[in-house]
Amino acid sequence: MTGGLPPNGTLSPASPEPGRVTGFRRLLTWRAWSPVVYGIAATVGGILFLIELGNLGVYRLSFALDQVNPLLGGFYTSLEVVAVILSLGFGLGFVVGWARTTRFLILRGLGSVFVDFFRSMPPIALIVFAALIGGIELKGSNLNPYQIHNITLWLGVLVLGFHTAAYQAEIVRAGILSVPAGQTDASDAVGISRIRSMFVVVLPQAFRVSLPALGNEFSSSIKDTSLLYTIGWVEISGAALIQTSFAYTVYLYGSLVIWFEAAFLYFVITYLVTRSVRGIEDLFKVPGLEVAHT
Amino acid sequence: MSEIRVRGLKKNFGKLEVLRGVDLDIGSGKVLCIVGPSGSGKSTLLRCINLLVMPDEGEIYLDSVALTNPHLRPEWVRQQIGMVFQSFNLFTHLTVKKNVMLALRHAKKIDRAAAEKTAVYQLTRVGLADKMEAYPAQLSGGQQQRVAIARALAMDPKAMLFDEPTSALDPESIHEVLAVMGRLAEEGMTMAVVTHEMGFAKEVADRVVFFDGGRVLEEGSPTEIFDRAGHERTQAFMQKILR
Repeated sequence: MTGGLPPNGTLSPASPEPGRVTGFRRLLTWRAWSPVVYGIAATVGGILFLIELGNLGVYRLSFALDQVNPLLGGFYTSLEVVAVILSLGFGLGFVVGWARTTRFLILRGLGSVFVDFFRSMPPIALIVFAALIGGIELKGSNLNPYQIHNITLWLGVLVLGFHTAAYQAEIVRAGILSVPAGQTDASDAVGISRIRSMFVVVLPQAFRVSLPALGNEFSSSIKDTSLLYTIGWVEISGAALIQTSFAYTVYLYGSLVIWFEAAFLYFVITYLVTRSVRGIEDLFKVPGLEVAHT
Repeated sequence: MSEIRVRGLKKNFGKLEVLRGVDLDIGSGKVLCIVGPSGSGKSTLLRCINLLVMPDEGEIYLDSVALTNPHLRPEWVRQQIGMVFQSFNLFTHLTVKKNVMLALRHAKKIDRAAAEKTAVYQLTRVGLADKMEAYPAQLSGGQQQRVAIARALAMDPKAMLFDEPTSALDPESIHEVLAVMGRLAEEGMTMAVVTHEMGFAKEVADRVVFFDGGRVLEEGSPTEIFDRAGHERTQAFMQKILR
């Protein structure tokens, strides 16, 4: 080799932090699991607090325990609905958000119509419309009322998924737009096709930027599922309402206790989801690029 | 190595005529430096040569292959010609080694082990053997630009285009990068370099063109252009930058 290269020693050192765990191994660290431990500690503390309240007469332990089973039934239904809404919302939101950044006018137009419509409708109106229209359309069919009711229930879930998809589409679009043109210049210049470059260059960077906002939208859409009780879902809120209707005959603070427990169950779902998003954020971290130590 | 010939190249952006009929020859294994004021279309010219920008009119030949032939895949053309940008444009989410491997894996579609071998070889060649696992944001500008050069070289290109490769760098980094480029020229790479580094142009270039208003105003050996420019416009420009 000819030509004068400076010895490496003269260049500014910029080695990665020593001992930094990278990739999927990050999921095995204390940092990743500490929230779970804190969560369990908080739950135990909360239960002790409630027992203390019970001793003061605000809280009747036997009544509170009686509410657990009906509410847990609602909790499992909520989990089911949340799983559907989050996967539908993210999948569809991702596709629509991407469509809005392509150079194909038709795709962009369809994406815009979708986002404009589902973002500007109040979710409760969407749910009620979907269930009502579904019910009316299926009235003359040979399905039995039970099946029709089931379909209208899931139609409500579907439109709620569309609602959050519209928001997530905008988050994904913003993420894609945040990737500098120089990145696609570079992948073009080495001969990577546009579609591949989307998957190996643009989306990983867009995703990294989008994750905090996606976590926000996930947690907000989890709580929107409480609106589904309006069309007959017995999820956490539905179960809590049913229990409340009996509670006043038992004692004064009954409904308070029920809604406290219901709120706690929402907290559990939201916390699990947002913490998982946080874990995924860690996977996408780029050493040297972050300003803040989060 | 290969030669590049450009004939009657034209490009408009809307009403703005950026290239107004450019003719250019870069001999096999030769280095051509392109100098000229900003906004004269130098970058667009380079970006047309590897079809990052599609020219409106004219032909570009790599040896006997007309790159402007619509039947050629632009991806194939770009794999033949390496490009280095002013702002490096390294993939920020990938390590240095993966930056170099990416196109080998996803454009040339060679297997991981072979891609890794090539990446290690090219990075060692530009003096970055100890930075393989670092991320671009952890490197100095000069180191990043050398990674970008290694990334382009890993594709085994027939020619290299450099678009102001040192304009974003501090003096020490400029030296690093120019050293790598000088060595590449000695090894016989066909190169087109848009640059304001007159020292480099004098020392390494075989030919220099002065580019202004979307066309080649003057062409000659480095001494002809820098010291005995025929054109008034060239003289004025040289006086400003050679001060």
